[in-house]
Amino acid sequence: MNANVWVLTFADAFSIATTLILATIGAILTERSGVINLGVEGILLMGAVTAFLVGDATGNVWLALLLPVAVGAAMALIHATLSITLRANQIVAGLALVIFGNGLSQFIGKPVEGKTRPVVITPIDLGPLTDLPIVGPIIFGHDPITYLTWVGAVVCSLYLNRTRPGLILRATGDAPATVDAQGVSVARVRFVHTIIGGALMGLAGGWFMLARGTAWSQAATTNGIGWIALALVVFASWRPLRAIAGAVLFGFTLQVPFTLQGQQINILPPEIVQMLPYLATLFVLVMLSTPRARKLLGAPKMLGQPFVRDER
Amino acid sequence: MNVGNWRVDLEPRLTSPKWLYAAVPIGSLFCAFIVGGVFLAFTGHSPIGTFALLIDRGFASTRGITNTLGTATPLICTGLAAAFAFRMNLFNIGEEGQMYLGMIGSAWAGIALAGYLPGFAAVPVVLLTGACTGALWVLVPAVLRAKMGTSEIVSTLLLNYVALNLVNYFIFGSRGFFRDPTTSFPQGRVIEASARLSSFGSTRTYPTVIIAVGLAVGLYWFMKRSNYGYETSVLADSPNTARYAGMNATKLTLSVLLFSGALAGLAGAMYVVGPAGKVDPGLLQVGFGYAGIVVAALARYNFMAVVLTAILFAGLREGGASLQISTNPVPISIAVVLQGAVLLFALGGEVFRRNRLRVRRVQQTVGA
Repeated sequence: MNANVWVLTFADAFSIATTLILATIGAILTERSGVINLGVEGILLMGAVTAFLVGDATGNVWLALLLPVAVGAAMALIHATLSITLRANQIVAGLALVIFGNGLSQFIGKPVEGKTRPVVITPIDLGPLTDLPIVGPIIFGHDPITYLTWVGAVVCSLYLNRTRPGLILRATGDAPATVDAQGVSVARVRFVHTIIGGALMGLAGGWFMLARGTAWSQAATTNGIGWIALALVVFASWRPLRAIAGAVLFGFTLQVPFTLQGQQINILPPEIVQMLPYLATLFVLVMLSTPRARKLLGAPKMLGQPFVRDER
Repeated sequence: MNVGNWRVDLEPRLTSPKWLYAAVPIGSLFCAFIVGGVFLAFTGHSPIGTFALLIDRGFASTRGITNTLGTATPLICTGLAAAFAFRMNLFNIGEEGQMYLGMIGSAWAGIALAGYLPGFAAVPVVLLTGACTGALWVLVPAVLRAKMGTSEIVSTLLLNYVALNLVNYFIFGSRGFFRDPTTSFPQGRVIEASARLSSFGSTRTYPTVIIAVGLAVGLYWFMKRSNYGYETSVLADSPNTARYAGMNATKLTLSVLLFSGALAGLAGAMYVVGPAGKVDPGLLQVGFGYAGIVVAALARYNFMAVVLTAILFAGLREGGASLQISTNPVPISIAVVLQGAVLLFALGGEVFRRNRLRVRRVQQTVGA
């Protein structure tokens, strides 16, 4: 029963969801502080190519996971400097990050283009749990990072809603002037969370390469997962736990084209099926834009607005 | 911000000196070359040699310049598309997909309609059809944005991936209308000869470059002089003012996004009547849509400046392409790295145009 193709598809959906959850939580932390970072796709690509190159050079899977975290943080630092210190247009800065990451990952990945992935993150064997029918492969068949990600989402949710720094973070996104009046540096809160967010996105990219990738080919690596993660932030209404549910849903739409192709189920041509994740995301965005749904969402009020004390 | 005994402040300028408008882009370009040079040096290429070759192949020869102008033609259009929307704070980042749709739409007109049209009308009809399909592709995000305020950023971008798969489907996935029926090799069906333009002499520059530049001049003039240009800029600066003045924000938003899509579609159509002559997946490799956003931002959404930056970027790309055919080939992606870096520096540099950097000595109160 556990070899049933739809069980495996669901298992894959939970697996792909890891990247989506990490990237989405990264974006949630960033956006909760009032900074919008559209550079997710670029950071994912840089994370992926870093993981590949480090794995190729050292053969060490943990180093190959750690370096992308640093690269993601560094790219987020660029974004934070531009949008917080220099008050540049955050939308364009994020786009610039995507273009830069896209080009750079292609450039530094060129020598290893087409090479098969050097190291692999293997699922941990949970013995009898993994052999359980249906839930075995879906819930208990993953690697340590996937489980850490689930724990991370819970921790992040507790941090946001149950701790003082979390309260300050939420306040920074909604009413930076109040935070400033309390004597807390708005810029520091935004810097810290943008960089942590970038680190999570870097990990998302690195993990995706090592767990889901096969060979390095820039064009076929992330395929817009970063943009789906940004849509997921809205879908999850800026709440980490809802991001898990959304990520599994979108993970499923990302996996279905491969399943259909693998099973030679040709209801629709593969090119059309591959539109599915993007159309599904768009559909969700349309649904969320009805006035009624918008009321329930609660985006940070000062999202994308630089904070300048004198201008109040 | 305090550094030791010094206090560093950014003070807004009331007016920026003229030279700064040029200094920021030029300085950004220079900084981007340095960043690119670092990566080149790390990967075992000579930065100076590479850049010298890049500039030589892109700009310095007649062949280089005409190739560059040919490449710049669709790039001017996507640059105008981005500039037109971005200056209204409408972030249409789906130019890439709208351009693909323009290619599909114009190829359809070139195959199905051109045969029934008098010779002089064929090219304009094909170009217009491409513009319309480009506009159609942005319709859903535009309506969502105009009617319900849904952010257009992610929705326009997601459609790029849908458009990409659509082109692949027409050429690789199906044996339908757009596919060349005479060969089993997957390629597009060539449009009617009457709907194609020939290039100037033996160059790769097509007459469409005149249309592209003409559009830039026309838009510059129109948006400066017309009521429409005035209303959109009021709406961009202050939605509330626009509302109190009785302007129809929904209509304006919708029209700006649709026209932006049409300009991007036109880029695809120009590719069809010019060098390609068919639905050509080769366009998917070039990234004119994304580059158009960089061009527009670097030009600070000024339509005339878009032409110049588009030519500059096209030159980088042409030069970049020629770097691949050397003894120690440099990946063409260096051109994309440079584009991204230029934009990042330009965004940072903009702050120094808008603000004055003031450094003051802080009096330390001793013994306090």
